Amino acid sequence: MQDALPPKLVCKGLNVSVRQELSRLWPRPLGANRRMITIRGVHKDFSIDGAKVTALSPTDLDVRRGEFVSIIGPSGCGKSTLLRILAGLETASGGSIDVDDGDRARQRVGFVFQEPVLLPWLSALENVRFPLDTARVARTEADSRALDLLKLVGLTGFEAALPRALSGGMRQRVSIARALSYDPSLLLMDEPFGALDLITRDRLNDELLSIWSQTKKTILFVTHSVEEAAYLSDRVVVMSPRPGRIKTVYDVNLPRPRGERTKLDPAFHQLMADLRRDLQ
Amino acid sequence: MKGFWRVLETTFAIAAIVVAWDLYTRYCDIPDFLLPSPVSVWNALVEAAKGQLFDHLLYTITILVSGYVVGVVLGIASGLVLAKSARLERWLSGPILFLQTAPKIALAPLFVIWFGLGITSKLILIVSLVFFPVLIATLVGIRSVDKRLHDLAQVLHLSLWQRFRRIEFPSALPEIFIGLRVGAVQAVVGAILAEWMAGKQGLGYLMTFATATYKTPLLFGAVIVTALLGIAVYQIIDFVERRLLSWREQP
Repeated sequence: MQDALPPKLVCKGLNVSVRQELSRLWPRPLGANRRMITIRGVHKDFSIDGAKVTALSPTDLDVRRGEFVSIIGPSGCGKSTLLRILAGLETASGGSIDVDDGDRARQRVGFVFQEPVLLPWLSALENVRFPLDTARVARTEADSRALDLLKLVGLTGFEAALPRALSGGMRQRVSIARALSYDPSLLLMDEPFGALDLITRDRLNDELLSIWSQTKKTILFVTHSVEEAAYLSDRVVVMSPRPGRIKTVYDVNLPRPRGERTKLDPAFHQLMADLRRDLQ
Repeated sequence: MKGFWRVLETTFAIAAIVVAWDLYTRYCDIPDFLLPSPVSVWNALVEAAKGQLFDHLLYTITILVSGYVVGVVLGIASGLVLAKSARLERWLSGPILFLQTAPKIALAPLFVIWFGLGITSKLILIVSLVFFPVLIATLVGIRSVDKRLHDLAQVLHLSLWQRFRRIEFPSALPEIFIGLRVGAVQAVVGAILAEWMAGKQGLGYLMTFATATYKTPLLFGAVIVTALLGIAVYQIIDFVERRLLSWREQP
């Protein structure tokens, strides 16, 4: 199965490869031990007034350990549903999800919501510490972890600030730090920067990449933005609606670390054009 | 500085009312048993203070506070249970609405017959008045907890108790405080009424005693002390609320 590579479409002079027909199994010439998430035939149906609605038709997807995968698609394509099923926030109507998380059984996944969803009565530090407090981690250890994470997201000096005193971007940073506090190996992000202005969004994208390279997390990132998906990811999964399904998976071979030069790279623009076309 | 001016303005307004009241009783020659002058009310209060005024006040405070605390605890606990159990709420929402709207004050004499002349019937009256507003406020508060906070609790694998203690209760606190305020006013009314009906202690009893013996200045004094007690209770709740809810966006 693993040597059955589909034809590789190499765009003229560009290092972006496109693989079609990937709602089937995604074959990768990789050791199985590096595979972290194995999604097979996961689907979600529900009924409205007796009529069956398919939010997500049977979906297969593999994610490698340490990979940054974006899921992009119009509203109603099931991308958030897939993410919420992975987080255990919704139950699938069928199919199987296998998350190979080493020996850390029942590990909580990190989840970053579209809104920060902070507890307004807790300070930034207490919000980051919240998952540790509820897991009964000793206070001193929790405090030092939370301080480190606030430093990682660039919020040193705002430890005691209440969420209402922070800007939208800062709140989302707190929320990312909170998701990282219990050191999950998998980070699920549901349009985390969708509500932010473009300047803040660009900056947070860069910070996310640096956090990713420092923490070696596996990240599944749902977004509406073609640019964001192309800029951040190792792979971009394009989904289409009615019924929600995976349409195409793009490999992104843009060199890392990514930065201003990536945004000038013609391959980057070609990929964005391909994604846009695919989304129509 | 702003606070200082407000205090000054309020003091001035009260002083103006007292002066007008005094002038009216003085120049229109109103008899003391119809409308006593401020001076005679003050004298009656000073007289009572030498007697048993503070014992009465203390008694009222005791039953007020104990009835209030029991009512609040029961109200919050029941509100939580009802918010958590849709079935229980379906069954009980009718009876609760009925009991909430039923004028419990009209039933107060029955409470005395059912539970005796002692402190039990008084406490039950106060508790029944405090319980419902707190219950409804808690129910509304927990119902209106942000859905996304439930998602967070799910992602973090919080236990039921942690959800309540760490997320739902603090989220519902602003609404619960609305219930606590309404309940506090009701508790004062309930305490006075309970003493009014039975017993030989408390500010309510002092009022019936004053009315029965035509000591109108004393009646006015007791009313004023009761009003001050009500204001004090309200201020305490306000203070606690501002401490606990300082995280809210100031309106």
